[in-house]
Amino acid sequence: MRLPRFALRCFCFLVYLFLLAPIVVVLLSSLTTTEYIVFPPKGITLRWYLELIEHAEFMQSFLLSVVVALGTSLVSTVIGTLASLAIVRRSFPGKTAIIQLIGSPLLIPSVVFGVALLQFYSWIGLAASPLALILGHIILTVPFVVRLVVAGLVGFDRSIEQAARNLGAGPFTVFFRITLPMIKSGVIAGAIFSFITSFDDLTVALFIVSTDVVTLPVRIYTYMQYQYDPIITSVSSIMIVFTVVLMVVIEKVLGVGKVFMSKQQ
Amino acid sequence: MQAERITYPKPDVAPEKKKKAAKKHAETWLLLFPALVIFVFFFLLPLFFLFITSLKTFDASRGIGDQWTLENYVKFLSDPFYLGVIWRTIKIGLVTTLIALVISYPVAFHISQAKGTVKNLLTLIVLSPLLISMVIRCYGWVILLANNGVVNQALLSLRWIEQPLTFLYTELGVVIGMVHVLFPYMVLSIMGSLERIDPSLIRAAQNLGASPLRTFFAVVLPLTLPGVFAGSVMVFSLSVSSFVTPAILGGTQVKVMSYLTYEQVAVLLNWPYGAAIGFLLILIATCTIILYSRILASSEKGVAIQ
Repeated sequence: MRLPRFALRCFCFLVYLFLLAPIVVVLLSSLTTTEYIVFPPKGITLRWYLELIEHAEFMQSFLLSVVVALGTSLVSTVIGTLASLAIVRRSFPGKTAIIQLIGSPLLIPSVVFGVALLQFYSWIGLAASPLALILGHIILTVPFVVRLVVAGLVGFDRSIEQAARNLGAGPFTVFFRITLPMIKSGVIAGAIFSFITSFDDLTVALFIVSTDVVTLPVRIYTYMQYQYDPIITSVSSIMIVFTVVLMVVIEKVLGVGKVFMSKQQ
Repeated sequence: MQAERITYPKPDVAPEKKKKAAKKHAETWLLLFPALVIFVFFFLLPLFFLFITSLKTFDASRGIGDQWTLENYVKFLSDPFYLGVIWRTIKIGLVTTLIALVISYPVAFHISQAKGTVKNLLTLIVLSPLLISMVIRCYGWVILLANNGVVNQALLSLRWIEQPLTFLYTELGVVIGMVHVLFPYMVLSIMGSLERIDPSLIRAAQNLGASPLRTFFAVVLPLTLPGVFAGSVMVFSLSVSSFVTPAILGGTQVKVMSYLTYEQVAVLLNWPYGAAIGFLLILIATCTIILYSRILASSEKGVAIQ
């Protein structure tokens, strides 16, 4: 049993290396002194981070992406949580159809959804704007929120709510003082998940953006098609650090494994 | 709710009850209303209009013509070039799924055996591709797989190859990127079923004298098949519909259906044709899921027997 176990360890080590490789490469390449992207980096400099200051468009895109992601995560968490409450606790006609409708964005390739949204927006005359992006991203993220919150609501002991009601608490008090705290982890997980999904989305945003309204992933994608300098790796590195910080927060609040395990069910 | 239960039924309570039921009904729809409105207006309607578009003729000046036609679908399904694109899309999906499965099973097993901090750390490494922007990960691969990139240099210095291999803008490059992106879905799915195995089953096998390898193949592996299956379907359907990875690592050289949809609409401005390709793509992805739930339904019966 010694040898298989050793072989398993070596194999897994290689796989972890494979998983981390592109991220490490991007981080290290951003330090190169050359005018082009190269790995391993030649020399070490922070020049490309300083050059970012002159490329204000990246900062604008970053801020836009953050605003869109925050808006998406806020709206989709609220409406997703409300819908989950109805789905788990009420019976109503057409329930199955509604559950399927809310889950179906996961089945639709996002390219097709992006195209459909672009056509629809141009018909109703909604130009590229944070709102237009947020509406699209809500569709992508509500299914996750519903899944996570529903998982938290199933097996919820309702006698506590009833006790509160009998003691004279109004429905809103019950919701904010009892229900919400008990499903908190699902709701937070949904919010963080929505934020990351929206922040990372290229496919749908690619169709909606205009020359003034460009999210960071789209900015990086289009920049790379014309130029190949290390600015792109420095922007990317900042994004990676940003995400890692977010990940540490999730880990502290909930435990990363838990958040993503429930995504699977 | 509770108030209803403690009210004693009296003859004149009926209208009161009806009122309460109606109020409850209104509350339900109030809860669903915001999500439904957004889904109907920004999901169903756009897709419906796009479907209509896919049934229209192409008009060079306006994009969408006036005539109804099935030409867009027929054109795609009767042209060997486009059928090749469907086949390539499916092939990349199958190869990606197979590779992801083979490399993620041992990893899932390894992680499920680990404990405490190590386990958390390993889970984090496995999940990291999910969290780091897809665009950035793909550019990481562009740097790694370039003709003078690290991978080629390593292979050259090991003398495994004589000349640099071309990875970028080939199916191999797309598969590598795709496995990387979709790997976490497979691992999580397999880990889920590994962790659901009752440890007493493994102890029982060992007490009955089974070697660790035998225990694995006779007990553990069969019990994780549903997880393997679920992961495979998820990876396959995500890979056929993914856009970012094939666009960056395959570009115009390795066209898949999602890229073709994008190209028709955004570059060639042939909306009806792009829409038709998009709906064929939906069809492929949906068929996978339906097939999956069919097989899962029958395999669950199989698992229940055990």
